[in-house]
Formats: sequence, structure tokens, C-alpha cells
Amino acid sequence: MTPRLWDVIGARKWGYALSVLLIVPGVIALIMNAAGGRGALNWGIDFTGGDLLQLKLERPFTVGQIRAVVDQYATGESVIQKAEQEVFIRTRPLKTQARSDLLAALRRDLGTVRVLREETVGPKIGRELRNIAILAVVIGLALQVLYISYRFKSIRYALTADAALVHDLLVVTGIFALTRMEVNSTFVAVLLTVVGYSINDTIVVYDRIRENLALRTREPFDRLVNRSLLETLARSLTTGLSAIFAIAAVYVFGGVTIRDFAFGLMAGIVTGSYSSIFNASALLVDWHLRSERRAGRSQQGNASPPAAAEPQEPALGSASPSPRGASPSARRRRSRRR
Amino acid sequence: MTSRVGLRLLGILLIALAAIQMAFHPVEFVGRLPNFVAPALRMNLGLDLQGGSMLVLEGQDTPTVKATPDAVEAAMRVIERRIDQLGVVEPTIQRQGTNRIIVELPGIDDPDRAIRLIGKTALLEFVDTGTQPMPKGARWSADDKTVTLPGPPPQPQGQPAAPRTISFTKKVILTGADLESAQANINQGGAPGELYVVGFKFRGKAAKTFEDYTAANVGKFLTIVLDSEVITSPVIRDRITGGSGQISGGFESIEEARDLAVLLRGGALPIPVEIVEQRTVGPQLGRDSIEASLRASWVAVIAVILFMLLYFGLFGLLADLALGLYLVVLLALLSALGATLTLPGIAGLVLSIGMAVDANVIIFERIKDELRAGKNLRAAIGAGWNRAMTAILDSNVTTLLAGAVLFLLGSGPIRGFAVTLSIGVAVSMFSAIMVTRAFVDAAAAAGLGPQLARLAGRNGR
Repeated sequence: MTPRLWDVIGARKWGYALSVLLIVPGVIALIMNAAGGRGALNWGIDFTGGDLLQLKLERPFTVGQIRAVVDQYATGESVIQKAEQEVFIRTRPLKTQARSDLLAALRRDLGTVRVLREETVGPKIGRELRNIAILAVVIGLALQVLYISYRFKSIRYALTADAALVHDLLVVTGIFALTRMEVNSTFVAVLLTVVGYSINDTIVVYDRIRENLALRTREPFDRLVNRSLLETLARSLTTGLSAIFAIAAVYVFGGVTIRDFAFGLMAGIVTGSYSSIFNASALLVDWHLRSERRAGRSQQGNASPPAAAEPQEPALGSASPSPRGASPSARRRRSRRR
Repeated sequence: MTSRVGLRLLGILLIALAAIQMAFHPVEFVGRLPNFVAPALRMNLGLDLQGGSMLVLEGQDTPTVKATPDAVEAAMRVIERRIDQLGVVEPTIQRQGTNRIIVELPGIDDPDRAIRLIGKTALLEFVDTGTQPMPKGARWSADDKTVTLPGPPPQPQGQPAAPRTISFTKKVILTGADLESAQANINQGGAPGELYVVGFKFRGKAAKTFEDYTAANVGKFLTIVLDSEVITSPVIRDRITGGSGQISGGFESIEEARDLAVLLRGGALPIPVEIVEQRTVGPQLGRDSIEASLRASWVAVIAVILFMLLYFGLFGLLADLALGLYLVVLLALLSALGATLTLPGIAGLVLSIGMAVDANVIIFERIKDELRAGKNLRAAIGAGWNRAMTAILDSNVTTLLAGAVLFLLGSGPIRGFAVTLSIGVAVSMFSAIMVTRAFVDAAAAAGLGPQLARLAGRNGR
């Protein structure tokens, strides 16, 4: 059976600590980037407006050579990234004429240049895409809160699941801030997929908690959550691994164009799996224990359940923050249900 | 029981065959005879995979015309005529919101030419400038009251001369709308700069106006203006009958003359448009992307299949079978819905392969629990599926919500991603709930119970 050694909920402080450790560098990077005047994130032309050229050269070249040419034609700061024989050039919006002049100059200085991709986004469109992106994330989160609140009859589940989500979004955004990978509209797709995946993962655990609660064992809430976590742990890991295998294949074999996208998804799946185990359920327990203490203090034992989601009302008094492992009687009751 | 299992397997087989036919079309019917052809995936490819250009145009208000939906519709028809002249296969033109037009041009090799052709208003005007010739490049102001003359060519030393603005009201005699036809010609023996010309012909009534006007104004200048900019300003030597004439505007190549003819034939845009977004993917990158993503998909499928097999044994094998069916049904649905496959869309597809096993995993872990709790295999399988249902439903609905938001708010590739992800999630639920179940029941009925029951022991914690 599930080893009692694995007291995930008991160790939740470590889980929170690790989360903080994961989030803080990203947040610092965001702030440092913003303070350094580089923009908190490496906004792509989708959001800033501008031109993107993805070129393939035949001769070896350096970023410096490219920059020397680009700076003659593009005003303002241009971003130039090299990936093997390909180069990504992002500039402020260029006139059609300036773009062809730039290409001609590159061909003159650096030999054969093949245009793989060229994009122009007007500044107005950029603002619109950014607003839509924010709107998409907010609406997506709101819909999920509503759905979970409805299905679990408690806003606690929705809010703690969302806290885990915000954690994941922060981690992924932090990674993009640290690595300065380009933030464009595919980044929004990454965020929303991570939202979808992370919530999916959390719901499976919550579903087990809901089911175990419905059996009305007298197990303390934190023990019950820990047991639910362990019961779903194998599934969480299996699915997480399987999804990571799949997306890792895209990262390795999918080509340069899709690499950042795949990387973002991988990071999101890892943190999504982590947060549903160590954050969402842990927060649920902490919330429960807090309202319980408050109820205990005000009503001295004769407590009513603080929310409809906790039907094991008689167990309230025994669920002090300290218990390690379920009581023998609780375990016996648990096995009886089988 | 056994016959019901057989019935379910038969149903699944039929679904599989139908899906294969929908996705790959291995059988084509010529009349009534089936004809076997090499199976190929019939799927619309997004511009990022097949190469091509996408343009977003925004209609601009002018002092006289507002960019109303009607004006935008009219502009779309003009643009359609121009694109027809470009020889693009299967272009799409659609309106977005009130004043935007999205143009998709698959497989074009010179996006800049397309941009020049599509974005031009192309309002041609024949202007009476009396005794005043206008230099090429002179521009009328938006209110048609003043003309800015180009400065003389910059001297080797000294200030470049500033452009001069003079007061000169534009008196339009005829416009491009009065033209019946226009085509590029080579003017054999013409002076340099007049080698390439655009010949035009006015419609009946306009031809008469043209004839009367030229008869009355011999020796004066007829200035030809395109989008407020003077192309040429020839002197009228004689009455011009028949409504035909030609523009020798100093075209540098036959292409330049041809492009103007294309614009004149297509008519002027009723409102000016601005290109606010342009994305072009070269054919090379498209091919590379298809190749790379195909390879990635294969690796992903094999990795997931092996993983399931190693981790869940016989159950895993059955889930893999269901996964295969899942893929075929998914492709069939995407093909039937006419969905467009984009690069992020393929990534969504691959991710969905990884996540498609999720429902199976939830169920199998459940069955393990039930087996360990001492239930017999049949009861454990039943309980496994029943208990896993709420988890599968709730977790997938939340993912679908994210997909729906992406679909409604996203555009282009992102929307493609949302479609494949959402359909993938929906089909994976069907696959786990119906298909894997049928396979597992069939295996149990076929006497593979002991092998199935090993699930709990071998990987039990």
C-alpha cells in the first residue's frame, strides 16, 4: 500500500520553499530586465510591432557582421539571433523598400541569403494582439474557476487550483525572462496549454479528494489529502512523463522554428505536475486548517463545517496541525470500505 | 457477454475503417468500382507549412469616404480581381471586424510584388492642367487644392532644393473607372523611358467625352495622375478618336507597366488600405517544418507507445491500440472539418498524443487499486472505469475551456493549435472510455485475465 513515509502534506513547507526558489529568480530577472531598459520580457514583433526576418546563409557568418548591415537600414534597436546557419533579425517596422535594400546589402556582403520567413506587424496590431493575449489568459482562468467552483461546490478548490496555476505561469514566464526567449503569440499558446495541463493535473487529485471525502471516513483532512495525493501520484507521474516524452520529441526533432514553443511547453508540464502535487493540495490543507483553527477558537469544539466541501465535521477537533500519519482506527476504517 | 464484446469490437473496426478512409482516402470510387490509390493525408496546410503570404489590410477613412463595411466589401472585390491576375492558386480573402481584410496567398514567391499590387489604391485620373505641364512625381494634397512639386535633382554641392508647393485645383475629366481595358505594350523604337507603355481604351460614353475634350484642347496638357501622384503630363497634339490611348510613364521594365495594367483592369479601391500585418513563409522553411514535425511526431508516438507498453504490460498494449485508433480518428475529424494544419497545430497534436494516454492511465491506476483491494478482475475493471469517469470528465473539460478561449480569441496558427488540442482532448476521452474498454473486455473474455491481473502485482508499490 501507499507508504506512510511519503508524507507529502507534512512536508509541504519544503514544497512551498522550492516553489519560491523556482519563482524568485524569474521575478528578479523580470525586474532586472525592466530596470535595465531591455523590457521585462523579450517581446517579439507580435506585441511590439516591427519586422522579423528569418534568413538562411550559406557561408559562415557572425552576428556582428549581420548587425553591421542591419544597422544601416533599420532605425532603433534591432535584435539579431543566430541559430546554426540561420539568423533571426527583428527590427522596428521597415518600409518595403528598406527591407529589400537590406536584403540586397546582406547578399552583397555575405553571399547567398535565402529568406525563410518575413513578417511585418504594425504597432497598432501589436497592441491589439497583446490585449487579446492578456484577455485570453484572464478569461481562460475565470472560466476554469467558475467550472471548478461549480463541480466541487467550493470556491476553495477553484482558488487553490488557480494559485497553483499562477505559480506555473510565473515559473514559465520567469524562464522566458531569464533566457530572454522571444515572447510572441505562440508564448500565449504555451501559457494556455500549461494552464490546461496544470488544471487537468490538479483536478485529478481533487477528484480523488472529493471521492474520499464522500466516503465520510473520520480521517483528518490533511491525512485524507495526503492519501489522495499518493493514490494519484503514479498517474500524475506517468501522464507527466508521457507528455514530456512527446513534447521532447518536438523539441529535439521539430526544427528551430518550433523549439522555443516546445521548450516552454516542457517547462510548463514539469511545473504543472509539480504544482498540483506540492502547491494546490497543500494550499487546500492550509486553508482548511486555518479556518478550522478560527472556528475552533470562536466556537470551542462545537464547530460547524467551514465549507460544504468538508463533511468530516466530527473529525475537526482531532485535526490539529500536528498529526503525523493517520490513527490506526482511521486506517482500519479506510480498509473497511474496500 | 461475449457477443456484446464482439459487437463492440466490430463497431470499433467500422469506425477505424471509416476514419482511415476519411483521413487518407485509400479507396476512391470511380463510378461504382472501388479504386485503390496510394494513401495520402488530405489536409489543408497552413501558410507556415506550405509557404506563402498572409496580409492584413485596414481600410482607411478619407475626408470624403468612410471605411464602412460596404466600402470594405467593395475593396475586397477589387483586391480579388487583382489577385486573380497574380495567378495564385486558392487565395482566400476574408473580412475581419468592420474595416480589415485578411488575404492569404499560398505559395507565392515574390511577396513584395503582391504587396505593391494589393495595397495600391490605384485611382487613375485624367486631369486638365491647361497650359501647365506637371513634372512626374508631383503630388496633389488630400483636398485636391495644392500640388507639391518635386525639387530639382540635388546639386553636387549646396543645399538640396526644397520641394515647392503651388496652388492648383485638380480638375478631373475622366478616371480609371471609365476604362474598358488596359494592357502593357512594348513601344518599338520608343525613346529610352518610353519603351514600355500601358495602352488603354475608354468605354463608349467616356470615349466620346475623351474625343470631345481632346478636340477642344489641342496644344494643352493632359496630366495623368495615379493615387494623387503625377505619372506623366503629355501635350495633346490632336483630337483622339476611338477612346484609345497610351501612358508612357517612364516605366523601367515591362513588369512595371504590366503591374499598372493589372491595377487599372482591376479598378481602383474605393478606399485606401494600409497593410498592418504581413507574414510570409518561404517554401523552403515550409518544407523543412513539415519534415521536422513529421519526424518529431513519429518519435513522439513511438516513445509514448513504448512507455505505455513497458509500464502497463498487456493493458499498455491495449491502450496503444486505442492510441493508434485515436490518431486515425483525430486525423479523420480534422480532415472532415476542413481544419488547417499549422506548425503549432502539429505541436498540439503531438502534445495531445502524450496526453491522450492520460485517461487510460487514470483508469489503469484505478484498476490496480481495486485489484489490490482484493476485487476480482472483472469487478476491478468495472469499478476502475466508473470511478475514473468524473476525474476524466472534469480534467478534460477544464482543458477544453482553455482550448475554446484560444480558438475564439486567437488567429492563424494559434487557432490551428486550439483546434487540434481541443479535438484531440475530446477524441482521447472517447478513445479511453469506449475503445480501450472494449479492448480490455475482449482480452478478459478471451481468457487473458491472468495476464491482465498481473498489472497490479508487477508495478505495485
